Amino acid sequence: MTELTTDERIVTIRNRLGMHARPAAEFVKLAGRFQADITVCRGDLEVNGKSIMGILMLAAEQGAQMTIRTRGPDSQAAAAALEELIENGFGEA
Amino acid sequence: MPSVLTLARLQELKGEVLSLELLTPGLDLDRQCADPDLSSPGVALAGYVDRFASGRMQVLGETEIRYLNSLEPVLRRQRLDILFSQDFPALFVTKGQEVPDELLASARAHGKPVFRSYLTTKDFYARTKAYLETALAPSTSLHGSLADVYGVGLLFVGQSGIGKSECVLDLVERGHRLVADDVVLASRRGNDVIIGKGHPMQRHRMEIRGIGIIDIRALFGIRATRQQKRIEVVVQLEEWDDTRMYDRTGLMREEAEILGVRLPKVIIPLNPGKNITVISEVVAMNHLLRYAGIDSAAEFDRELKGTLLARQEYLEEDYE
Repeated sequence: MTELTTDERIVTIRNRLGMHARPAAEFVKLAGRFQADITVCRGDLEVNGKSIMGILMLAAEQGAQMTIRTRGPDSQAAAAALEELIENGFGEA
Repeated sequence: MPSVLTLARLQELKGEVLSLELLTPGLDLDRQCADPDLSSPGVALAGYVDRFASGRMQVLGETEIRYLNSLEPVLRRQRLDILFSQDFPALFVTKGQEVPDELLASARAHGKPVFRSYLTTKDFYARTKAYLETALAPSTSLHGSLADVYGVGLLFVGQSGIGKSECVLDLVERGHRLVADDVVLASRRGNDVIIGKGHPMQRHRMEIRGIGIIDIRALFGIRATRQQKRIEVVVQLEEWDDTRMYDRTGLMREEAEILGVRLPKVIIPLNPGKNITVISEVVAMNHLLRYAGIDSAAEFDRELKGTLLARQEYLEEDYE
């Protein structure tokens, strides 16, 4: 049986427009490639990292801090990939 | 998630409804109210504070103000100092009454803000308590979709992509109402009621894979939506798993727990061609029937047992 691991990272939104529709879509597309359960928290709102409505609801602007929590066999790879996507500003300015 | 409310926020949100006037400007309004109960000091004004209900906002009605006014100024100040040295977030004077100078002086000395409301004491209690109970209720966000089906709040849960949104969309098409898709904010009322609603940002939008984000209110009209709904049954959608035992009789009762409240849970295995919408409607109707005292599974079981027993008795007689 594969071992269930967890990972947690705190990330900051870099791009100027924040997490609008296109970045949110990229986030959930990437999240969906992993088996791990992914949740994203901002303040007291916690949403599923694989759902675009959830991610959009966070309304994360530039500078916003969020916590990404992953749980599953590929939790580390998932957290690292999502962290990189956000820290790179989704390839936007 | 522990809920707290600052006085500043209370004044901002409810200042008009409660007709609040701040009598002690400059005092710290970041003080927090964590207790939804209100209390009138009563005997605390006579100096007895052994059983003082700490943490509750204090309300002075006509009786309390008249009593204070009947005291000599020195004694009045003494008693107020005893009251204000107790632990409570703020004090409210109702009916727009004039406030004795000693009260404001004592409030300032102890750093506890005083508000005046123009509502009657009864009205002030009723409105403030109702608001505080809602604002301070334990709450959480859930991943799922909430719909009102025949008046029953069904919360659909299950993995991403299992078809929760599609199921709710189909229910809306059949005349049921969407409360929230994907993110459901749940809060507890009292000890046994869970109320679910959508996030203010989301309104009645949902994502349908392949189409994208759609607006249910714009597509189906206002009657297809609902602002909030009590969550009554949790419907868990799952991929069909041959090794799992599913309830085949309806006699087994599964439960889900949300914020400490136990709710009936129905696990529905999905396989191709299954009409999940009709099944959801039946889940809702079955719930209503049980409340009306009709439990189909239990009744069938009773009938069956009756038949079996009768047959046994018949055989026993025949055996003779």
